[in-house]
Amino acid sequence: MVFPIIGLSLLVSLVSALLIIVLNVRFSRLIAVAGSAAILAMLLALLAVDLPTGTLAVAESYPFVTAFNIGLDLNLNAITFTLSLMATIVALAAALAGNPEKAREKAANMLIMFFEFAALGIFASANFFIFFIFWDIGVVVLFFMINSLGSANRRYASMKFIIYEIFASSMLLLGIILIYFYTPVNSFNIQYIQAHAASIPLGTQEIIFVVMFIAFAVNMPLFPLHFWLPDAHTEASTQGSMLLSGVLTKFGAYGLLLLFTTLPIAGKFAIPVAILAGFSAVYAALVTMLQHDIKRVIAYTTIVDMGIILVAIAALNPFGEYGAVYGMLAHGITIALMFLVVGCMHHIFGERDMRIVKGVVAKATSTAYSFLLGTFGITGVPLTAGFIADVLIFIGAMQAFGVYGALPLIGLLIIGAFLYFVINKSFMLTNESSESIEYLGVSHKVGYALLLFFMFLFGILPSLLLGLVKL
Amino acid sequence: MIAAPAMPVAAAQLVNIGYALVGALMLLIAMAIAAVPLRRRAEAFIASTGLLVFIALLSLYLLGSGANLTVLSVFHLYAFSEFFVALFCVGLVLVNTLSYRYYSNYTGFLLFFAFAVVGMLIVPMANSLVTVLLGLELMAIPTSFMIVMGGKGHIEAAVKLFVLSAIAVGAFAFAIALMLPYEPGLGLYALTSSSGIGGNYLVLLAIILLIGAMGFEVAAFPFNLWIPDVYEGAPGSVTALLAGINKKVAFVALMEVLFIVFANYATQFALMLAFIAILTMFYGNLLAMVQTNVKRLFAYSSISQAGYILIGMAAATQLGIEASLFQITAHVFMIIGAFAIVLWLETQNIKSLDDYGSLASRNGFAAAALTILMLSMAGIPPLLGFFGKFLLFSSAVFGNLVYLAVIGIINSFISIYYYAKVIDRMYRGGKQKSALRIDSFTMAVVLVALIVVIVLGLYPQLLMSAASAASGALLSV
Repeated sequence: MVFPIIGLSLLVSLVSALLIIVLNVRFSRLIAVAGSAAILAMLLALLAVDLPTGTLAVAESYPFVTAFNIGLDLNLNAITFTLSLMATIVALAAALAGNPEKAREKAANMLIMFFEFAALGIFASANFFIFFIFWDIGVVVLFFMINSLGSANRRYASMKFIIYEIFASSMLLLGIILIYFYTPVNSFNIQYIQAHAASIPLGTQEIIFVVMFIAFAVNMPLFPLHFWLPDAHTEASTQGSMLLSGVLTKFGAYGLLLLFTTLPIAGKFAIPVAILAGFSAVYAALVTMLQHDIKRVIAYTTIVDMGIILVAIAALNPFGEYGAVYGMLAHGITIALMFLVVGCMHHIFGERDMRIVKGVVAKATSTAYSFLLGTFGITGVPLTAGFIADVLIFIGAMQAFGVYGALPLIGLLIIGAFLYFVINKSFMLTNESSESIEYLGVSHKVGYALLLFFMFLFGILPSLLLGLVKL
Repeated sequence: MIAAPAMPVAAAQLVNIGYALVGALMLLIAMAIAAVPLRRRAEAFIASTGLLVFIALLSLYLLGSGANLTVLSVFHLYAFSEFFVALFCVGLVLVNTLSYRYYSNYTGFLLFFAFAVVGMLIVPMANSLVTVLLGLELMAIPTSFMIVMGGKGHIEAAVKLFVLSAIAVGAFAFAIALMLPYEPGLGLYALTSSSGIGGNYLVLLAIILLIGAMGFEVAAFPFNLWIPDVYEGAPGSVTALLAGINKKVAFVALMEVLFIVFANYATQFALMLAFIAILTMFYGNLLAMVQTNVKRLFAYSSISQAGYILIGMAAATQLGIEASLFQITAHVFMIIGAFAIVLWLETQNIKSLDDYGSLASRNGFAAAALTILMLSMAGIPPLLGFFGKFLLFSSAVFGNLVYLAVIGIINSFISIYYYAKVIDRMYRGGKQKSALRIDSFTMAVVLVALIVVIVLGLYPQLLMSAASAASGALLSV
């Protein structure tokens, strides 16, 4: 295909961000929406063209640092396309819904577009060098998103976030330099490394695996390295949480997917990693039950879902691999919806403690039902994208680990039960109801609708994306 | 001669350009001397800036045409020296612009400045050890005077700098004296193998003295205790000069002597440099974390940057030197840009970390610029500082010094703490204070630094190939 779709998408997001800086605040939301909608349109057009053929492969390359043989190498395949699509949907929804906090709209829209740039870049990058560059851009953008747009305790949360994330990216840099050094012809190209990783000495492979695993596990986040997440997600603005949980955590998951498909040694680590991931999911589910702040509840469910996705990645088979990708798609869209709902609920009632907020459905019907549908998505009720993802994930996990592969379902069951408890307690019971202090804008409802549309679209018609892979 | 063989005419022209370059240096001194009695600030500023830009352009032209020539038999113009002459001139233009704003007696300042400039530019162009020594001395003494010109409050810093420079130059001279039996010509060429590599303790002592002497100037641990005091005590633009240029000149001197004269002793001095690099990085970064005065924070941050630069030299390969040159270039712009803002805020009586609170709402440009420069120092892509660090750590891995790369990466991680702390302060809301107006000179300097950090960060190829040519030239002397 001659149309430079990836380069153009990156350019559109970057130009939109720069335009937002330059132009008046009145246009900022319009530009952000137009930019991400244009990118979404391009991606959907690509899907429409390539779906009948059953394969999707776009590769583009632009010169960057010729001395180190580093190009701006971009490619899209079924996996990276799915993730880019998810990132674009979330960014569009965030821009469209607007900031319920109604603060610093210009900065928020600029950061959304910069983050969209980083996300598209990281998913489309065909070499580890630009992967790292986009990774760090994404992290820094979200640091500012938390730091300057978040709620009361945002300083502490953003410092914690940046320290964890820069630790991760330091480890990532080390891993990338080591891979570069040990591949036969020094190269950053992911495909080349995948083809030649077997020639890296085994001991070195182990070191590289551990270093990069730590980096991605912090970002993902996985059990002992997850402490930044609850604070960051809770303190970020609504749009910040949507991007943070919806897209940023997928950087780490996608990185782990790359790591597992790149290093042959990964097979040796598959079972310990799966055990850790399963434990992380169940642990986070148990911690979820201790929370009262609904936003914090949603934040912890992210750890549960990411743990389950990692189990699928560690399964190292096609079902696991594509199940993980579909899981990232489903989780990204669904969790963005949940954070948007919780943000709007906070905006309407001025409170998001489940012990205080009562009877949301009476005062904010669309918000309450969106929360219910989002819970369906998270718990994998049929017709939602989460269902397809869970089916693929657990087929993959059980192929690889037998019955034990189904154990992480415990985590899912716990958060499912707890979320229905929350719905019962705060949303659907109308015998007493909190006073609303604000009305919900139309734009937020449009945001709900967009995310719900895609959540059900990919749940009802999974062949839209699964048609691109051979399972 | 590296110049294209088919163009002898061009080669002759290149020599003329070399003469023009040296002539411009002379003219700079003459102009500075003439400006003192005439007391024409603006004219002197324009003339000195013009001359520096002229020299920078000439050396860039020479670098582009791959010139390798000797001018007046004491100046060696090859890719390495051309690279640094151009870099220093650009940096000096920035410092000169800042100084014009800070010194009411600008013409008096310019006199010392011009002498220091000549000293700074002599060091990379030197072709003998004595010339290096001369250049270092010519740089150090006028710098002390520039500090004194700031007023009575600055005498302590000036004396500290003067005494320490004297010690450094003395140790350097002693190192040369120890080498004298093995190198009668005192030229910058490799000590012959007949001088007994490995077992020759006099030469090893000379290397140690040399590293110690330059360690004072480049702020390497444990010779860097004076740095924060002098940076804090120096007036206005001189801090930017010390951190941005003086330190880099000492790096150049160190590289020239180590990689040319002691080229056969690479294994020995590389180990010393690796050791010093580790300590310097940890010292700078750990102490920067507890600073409450922003100027001191940047002083410690620039110490840690010296540690990173030493990583590349410890690798002692062409890639390592290339990485060091890259990082030196990056740091010149980052630190001058950052100090430009810090110094301007100092005149507004904003000094401590707490004073920086809500800077973003008082002057959004300054806060954004300082943020970008600090992110670059912390090594966040796609800014210039990232590529420097990337090259440095890669060179360490390629030089079989994986531990050095790991320690460097750990330090790079530590540093994000204090940079993020400043960024956090600046973007903190709180009590609305009056807006601050940035003056156009500071603004211009910061803009140049920002453009360099962003543009060369997005397109590092240009600087990489220049640094590669320069490092190749240094190793092939």
